[in-house]
Amino acid sequence: MNQLRWDPTLGEWVAYATHRQDRTFHPPAEYCPLCPTKPGGFPTEVPRESYDIVVFENKFPSLKPDAPDPDEPGSALTPTAPGRGVCEVVLYSDEHDATLAGMSEERIRNLVEVWADRYEELGSLDYVSYVFIFENKGEAIGVTLSHPHGQIYAYPFVPPRPRKELEAAGGYREENEGRCLHCDLLSEEHEDGRRLVAKGEHFTAFVPFYAHFPYEAHVYARRCAPSIADLAAEERRDLARVLKRLLMGYDRLFGFSLPYMMVMHQAPTNGEEHEGIAHFHIEFYPPNRTADKLKYLAGSETGAGAYIVDALPEETAMTLREAVEGAGAS
Amino acid sequence: MILVEKEREQKDDGRYIIFYTFEDEAEEDEGSREDSTS
Repeated sequence: MNQLRWDPTLGEWVAYATHRQDRTFHPPAEYCPLCPTKPGGFPTEVPRESYDIVVFENKFPSLKPDAPDPDEPGSALTPTAPGRGVCEVVLYSDEHDATLAGMSEERIRNLVEVWADRYEELGSLDYVSYVFIFENKGEAIGVTLSHPHGQIYAYPFVPPRPRKELEAAGGYREENEGRCLHCDLLSEEHEDGRRLVAKGEHFTAFVPFYAHFPYEAHVYARRCAPSIADLAAEERRDLARVLKRLLMGYDRLFGFSLPYMMVMHQAPTNGEEHEGIAHFHIEFYPPNRTADKLKYLAGSETGAGAYIVDALPEETAMTLREAVEGAGAS
Repeated sequence: MILVEKEREQKDDGRYIIFYTFEDEAEEDEGSREDSTS
């Protein structure tokens, strides 16, 4: 069952997918469904003995291309809609214990290529308005399978957070003679310098002035490219390089493989004009505020939408920058 | 980096699976050198 219900109080859709209760939960490594299928072994999601990068439709999707009309009709005030969309799983490697941080820059570069391809293909579907590429990493984030993988949700609407960001950028553009909000933010970060974490030729990683998590980091394209698919070859290569440096720094920060949510914000694929408003970037939200303490989204954050953060971005950026530099990626 | 192959297959339950295969950088460099001198 995949259905959407409209929340008129917040002006947003909520997706229901009750079959997801049955999804695979922390299987032992020898029964990992994301590993290659070994000769004589149990059949996994990937019917080959090895693979480079694989994408497949999620077995327990939150959205489905053929989602039927909901049995529950709702009302004029609270309408329902089919949970129509696509949910994909992206397998980064056939090595069960690999992590993105430990992968070669070249493999991350290949992954960027796959992400761009998925953005274009899914975004071309007439019922897809937003291609959301993300990774949940680590048990602290609620990950049920540890094999290195990310996900893609192709939504039939522009989800609330990117929508709010696009509206803010659109308003800024109107009030500032067509200027891009993200370009101006990045300029300020470069000028200030205190929150910069890693700088490549075409991408910059920094802890934003208004970080919602202590070690939140954003990776911005320097050029105002609306989507990952708009990046030129050299920009894609540099994105891989900067991601690698940031991820190695994250793992060095507390001396263990840091859990995080990684999300990409870019242009919707709903046919509207987003030039100068959408600016491709990646946001990382690690839940750790120290090595052994997590930042929980509690009453203020969840109920009021107001984040309370225990550390200043200038301080955490300095610590993270030292970790990145100490990690020694080229 | 060269995307060598993008193969799309259908699983038994109807879902699709896509295999992306890449040629590594060293091979690419070698290949481009060969091209440039041929």
